[in-house]
Amino acid sequence: MSDRDDDTPAPEPILPPSADPPVKVPLAIEDWLAVLLLGALAVITFLNVLVRYFTDQSFAWTEEISVFLMIVVTLVGAGSAFVRNHHIRIEAYADGGSPRRRHALAIASQLVVLAFFLVLAVLSARLVWDEYVYEETSPAIGVPTWWYSVWLPVLSGAIALRVLGGLRRLLRGCA
Amino acid sequence: MIGALLFAVFIVLMVIGVPVGVALGVAGTIAIAAANWDVHWFGLLAVPQNFYAGLAKYPLLAIPMFVLVGSIFDRSGVAKRLVDFATAIVGRGPGMLPLISISVAMFLGGISGSGPACAAAVGAVMIAAMSRAGYPPAFSASVVAAGAATDILIPPSVAFIIYSVLVPSASVPALFAAGMVPGILAGLALIVPSVWLARRHRMGTLESALPRPPFWASLREASWGLAAPVLILGGMRLGWFTPTEAAVVAVFYGLFVGMVIHRTIGLRDLFTILREAAELSAVILMVVALAGIFAWSLSTLSLIDPLTHAIVNSGLGERGVLALLIVLLMTVGMFLDGISIFLIFVPLLLPIAQAYGWDPVWFGVVLTLKVALGQFTPPLAVNLMVSCRIAGVPMESTVRWVVWLLGAMFLVLLAVLAFPQLALWLPGKLGY
Repeated sequence: MSDRDDDTPAPEPILPPSADPPVKVPLAIEDWLAVLLLGALAVITFLNVLVRYFTDQSFAWTEEISVFLMIVVTLVGAGSAFVRNHHIRIEAYADGGSPRRRHALAIASQLVVLAFFLVLAVLSARLVWDEYVYEETSPAIGVPTWWYSVWLPVLSGAIALRVLGGLRRLLRGCA
Repeated sequence: MIGALLFAVFIVLMVIGVPVGVALGVAGTIAIAAANWDVHWFGLLAVPQNFYAGLAKYPLLAIPMFVLVGSIFDRSGVAKRLVDFATAIVGRGPGMLPLISISVAMFLGGISGSGPACAAAVGAVMIAAMSRAGYPPAFSASVVAAGAATDILIPPSVAFIIYSVLVPSASVPALFAAGMVPGILAGLALIVPSVWLARRHRMGTLESALPRPPFWASLREASWGLAAPVLILGGMRLGWFTPTEAAVVAVFYGLFVGMVIHRTIGLRDLFTILREAAELSAVILMVVALAGIFAWSLSTLSLIDPLTHAIVNSGLGERGVLALLIVLLMTVGMFLDGISIFLIFVPLLLPIAQAYGWDPVWFGVVLTLKVALGQFTPPLAVNLMVSCRIAGVPMESTVRWVVWLLGAMFLVLLAVLAFPQLALWLPGKLGY
């Protein structure tokens, strides 16, 4: 997807793209979702500026949507970043030493991440249930808050699946 | 006891290579459960609540926007034209290319808000140019990484936005203004040893043989890039837009320049730009959200007050404590990136700053200067990682050059510590 035609003017060379790990479920799902959401976020915020200048209307209720989109972009992008190993981590100890040790530490660290996002998915599902039962509504637009918060358990679950996939690749890689 | 558990879990997880954010989240979760053993669901519903609350803040929206600005300007062709223009002004000669690298990095600092993005933009243009002129790649990589570190001091800056979210009494405009003078000083301080090293080791001898771009033509070419910081900083100063809006205006300005004027960005590149920016902001914001869980468990365990009390009454005195903090942060900064440092340490250090009556804006500038130093202190140096990858040299090879640059910037840190007015004069003058 990062290939470009030779006839288009090449942009300045940045870092050489590294190949994605072989995943079963294409990363394009997360990538497209993140691209569209971030694009939407930029457009909404920009429209906000324009509307405020050319009319005297306040467009402030869009803040609620913008913040929501930002949270979804974060969870979606975090998922693909786990697959590509782009998250900030201390590599000095974990990626040094014998291949055996590296393999064991990688599995241990993936298990911790997996456990955390499973717990987060369960706990946030519980939270969404409360919001659903008590029919809480959002302050600016007045829609049910669970419309927003339901994505936290769903996307935490998606991250957990991505991490599970990574774990499977690790276990198959060198047993 | 639970406090010790909190930090022990966090450190062990980080060492075995768990991402920093997740290590914070897990440690926070375990500490919350351990402290609420007898409560319904162990009080763990606070975990998703704090995760959500940590992210659902409107000012944070500036982060994906400024990351996107960096990603766009990386490819907009602006850096190359600024380099040509700078070369037309200062001419060709020994030590001129390092000077240009740092000046252009500082200038791009007025557009983008993150060091690594700046290192990528400047490095892509300058490292090859400096190699052609006969500078060793390790030296070029060091200069670019150090120059790009001024980026988080010179407004706009992602680091200041995060600090402001953590410390509401320090507003983003005040922090942006306060970073200006120290940022420029840091850039000037870096230029001195780079030019001196270049001359002393007779690097770049081929430079004077290279053509000098014509002044007016390169000014015209560079004008779109030159106008960008005026638009961003001027617009914020005149109250046209908030920092988030300034970022989004810069996004569309950068796209216009890249797609219509310089034609370096095609429609296809938009996907790559947005994908990269989305993933990088997700990485940053994930740490922000998960650090929220950690900070909440810290605050409910009431660990901070006794710790502050112990430090303030330790008999070290104000200067001693400040020196200790700098040493601590320098050490931690060798292993952790700047944003994680802010998120972990600001909640811990702020009560100490308050106890001594330090100005929160000045304290933010001092911490950011420290983080800027950390961006090119091996072994964990985000800027140096980027510039070394572009130059194709191992990070170890840069150490002999980087120490001089680190020393120069450290002097600026000392100056800001000794004369707080260096940071506080401009925001005071502008009335923030």
